[in-house]
Amino acid sequence: MAFVKALVLLRNKNMISPIDLHMLFFQLLHCQDKNLRQFLKENIVTDIKNINSKGKNMKLNKELQNFMYEMLTSKHAVAAKTSLDVMVELYNKHVWNDAKTVNILASACFSKVTKIMVAAIKFFIGKDNEEAEETDSDCESENENNVLKSTMMALKVSKKTKKKQRKLEKAKYIAQKNQKKKKAKASFDFSALHLIHDPQDLAEKLYKRLEKMNERFEVKLMTMNMISRLIGVHQLYLPNFYPLVQRFLFPHQREVTKVMVFAAQAAHNQVPPDDLEPVVRTLANNFVTERYSSEVMAMGLNAIRELCARNPYCMSDDLLQDLTQYKTYKNKGVMMAARSLLSLFRGKNPELLAKKDRGAPSELRMEKKVEQFGENSAVSYIPGAEILTFKTQGDDEGIGLGDTDSDDEWVDVSHSDNEMDTEEENNKAVNKSTDGNKEEEKVFSTKDALKEVMKLTAKERAARAADVVSSRFLSDADFAKIAAVQAAKEVEMFSNSRKNKKRKRAVENNAESGELVSLKSIEMIYKKRKHNKDARMETIMGGREGRDKFGAKRGRMNPNASTTNREKFKTKSFMMVKYKVAGKQKRSFREKQIRLRNSLLKQKKNY
Amino acid sequence: MTSKVSRETLYECVNAALLGARELKRNFRETVELQIGLKNYDPQKDKRFSGTVKLKHIPKPKMKVCVFGDQMHIDEASENDLPCMSADDLKKLNKDKKLVKKLAKKYDAFIASDALIKQIPRLLGPGLNKAGKFPTMCTHSEKLSEKVDEIKATIKFQMKKVLCLSVAIGHVDMTADELVQNIYLAMNFLVSLLKKHWQNVRSLHIKSTMGKSQRLY
Repeated sequence: MAFVKALVLLRNKNMISPIDLHMLFFQLLHCQDKNLRQFLKENIVTDIKNINSKGKNMKLNKELQNFMYEMLTSKHAVAAKTSLDVMVELYNKHVWNDAKTVNILASACFSKVTKIMVAAIKFFIGKDNEEAEETDSDCESENENNVLKSTMMALKVSKKTKKKQRKLEKAKYIAQKNQKKKKAKASFDFSALHLIHDPQDLAEKLYKRLEKMNERFEVKLMTMNMISRLIGVHQLYLPNFYPLVQRFLFPHQREVTKVMVFAAQAAHNQVPPDDLEPVVRTLANNFVTERYSSEVMAMGLNAIRELCARNPYCMSDDLLQDLTQYKTYKNKGVMMAARSLLSLFRGKNPELLAKKDRGAPSELRMEKKVEQFGENSAVSYIPGAEILTFKTQGDDEGIGLGDTDSDDEWVDVSHSDNEMDTEEENNKAVNKSTDGNKEEEKVFSTKDALKEVMKLTAKERAARAADVVSSRFLSDADFAKIAAVQAAKEVEMFSNSRKNKKRKRAVENNAESGELVSLKSIEMIYKKRKHNKDARMETIMGGREGRDKFGAKRGRMNPNASTTNREKFKTKSFMMVKYKVAGKQKRSFREKQIRLRNSLLKQKKNY
Repeated sequence: MTSKVSRETLYECVNAALLGARELKRNFRETVELQIGLKNYDPQKDKRFSGTVKLKHIPKPKMKVCVFGDQMHIDEASENDLPCMSADDLKKLNKDKKLVKKLAKKYDAFIASDALIKQIPRLLGPGLNKAGKFPTMCTHSEKLSEKVDEIKATIKFQMKKVLCLSVAIGHVDMTADELVQNIYLAMNFLVSLLKKHWQNVRSLHIKSTMGKSQRLY
């Protein structure tokens, strides 16, 4: 140990080359000394970090990485694990976050030693155990709160020294920091998965391993997770994976929600529907039947929803209509899940739904066509840009467009260009009786402009939007307008259905499906309470406001009068009044009986 | 933000790029590219974006498109002199990785008829996905030649590991007006994808394949 420390000192003074030292260190890892190994590992990490702190030394890094790779493939398990740990740590510290490190780590996923494999896979699936982390941090924060409380108490009770004050400040600072940390939750870093050179090959190999794997179930789950993420992120095609997942989809399977998440993750819109349909069918058959509890059903419906959000092509109309019939189910969880599925398909493909379920068509939905598998959905315009063909008042003042004077000219020119185009269109469409020239002079208010947009048909809109978009750069204000129009379209009923014109529906927020599926979205099976604790507390506190405290009002008639003994009692330290508080214990009836009997006996004996 | 790129500077840049290409004639038709640098964007944390947009004018008319079709589409394709393959031809490849790779290399894009497209991953394996050339669907009601033009006009923005993008938006034989329209369309679309719109854009360059790059913004 002492020798090693001396060597480290030499290294810090830059007397030895890092390569030689690390080679030696890795050889030393064969030692049976745990402390030494720990020390060595920490040292390697800090040394490499220090080397790279002032600009990266690519050549040296390359050598070191090659060396690490050698170590990783070596037979000695401890050395391999250490090198893996070192690399993971360096990656997480953003020292070695290049493709080479990631691919070396990817190769470690196929290690024969389970521990190494698990560590590598864990690195790729990231800090997925958010829940575990949360509970950990909860415990920690509770501890810290206790510390804070006790230090505050100590400062109140005992003498106020500077040292104690310092302690209190420190405790406060730590508590604050922890709270901040909690708020800024570390989001999952995808970069490692993105940096892999050949994801298809990696996924295939991992799949082969998974098939023959004889490890614990948790390890299998992890491997499945990694494969599903690879498929989802890189849009791979691995047809055999789906039947494998399907095998695990039973209500009594351990950790079935996780398996559901993997199934949903492995779906993306380039998977052919034939492969995914059996998965959906098993989900429906195994979970969504009334002989199971409502939680199981809700979970199954949620899983189907997540899967279909990523690949809507795999759903058939019969199945969907069966599933959506649960929308009036008596259990709230099932009902909500079924409704969420319904609203998903209202957006994605309303034609699969029963006619009454499709909902009143909104303007936006009429614009969108139902996408088929593999269709090219490229458009030549930004939807909503048609609003910009209508001059609004803001534009005239020059605020709306945010253009400087020098550009006003060409903006105006382009506007008139557009209007010329729209003129022609209007003539063609005979939508309005007003003359094109009149329109040119017209300045719309924002609301009117919206109304005008709603009057157009989808084709006209597309044409107008394409014109605008290809004639000038749009400014931030323009984008704000476009967003407003799209939102309005969502709410506005399709103009042909005049009956419902008045009734406006709330906007359904279809959250964009991210790269990963969260476990929460599937486990969301309990109904939300109308009032959660915060809301309840709020109402309670609101009620308390402006009312006096309960209990008798004990005010003194004369404020200068002395305190009563009873009041003094409260300020005295507990030790002083301990016995008085305890009071006399009264004997119980039984005790009295026994005493009486004993005394009577005693009296008798005496005689 | 937008005021920094006025119409005049845009035309200037485009004309300069075109002029540069005309002065030094190469043995091929040069493509005009739009290169975009981004800022305030963390590729490791923020969501990667990708989007496809159809340009007004076809940037690469020489793109080779192959049709995987049923009988009707094959007939139509042979009328239009488009290269085509039937399901049997695909089966002959026998999922051979090398052959699929060769096929993917040979063509720039693929079209498949709606009956066939679901089987294509089965028939060809992951080779086409890997090359990023998964076929697009075509029904019988659409005209094949129109579909081909549509695909030729489509460009794809895909953000990868680095903070820059580059897309082909035209070629040097196009007029400046056409180029400018394409640039407007492409940029507007890209900017609409970005979270903070123009504030995410660091730089803009226009460049022909062998020519000098012209800084636009």
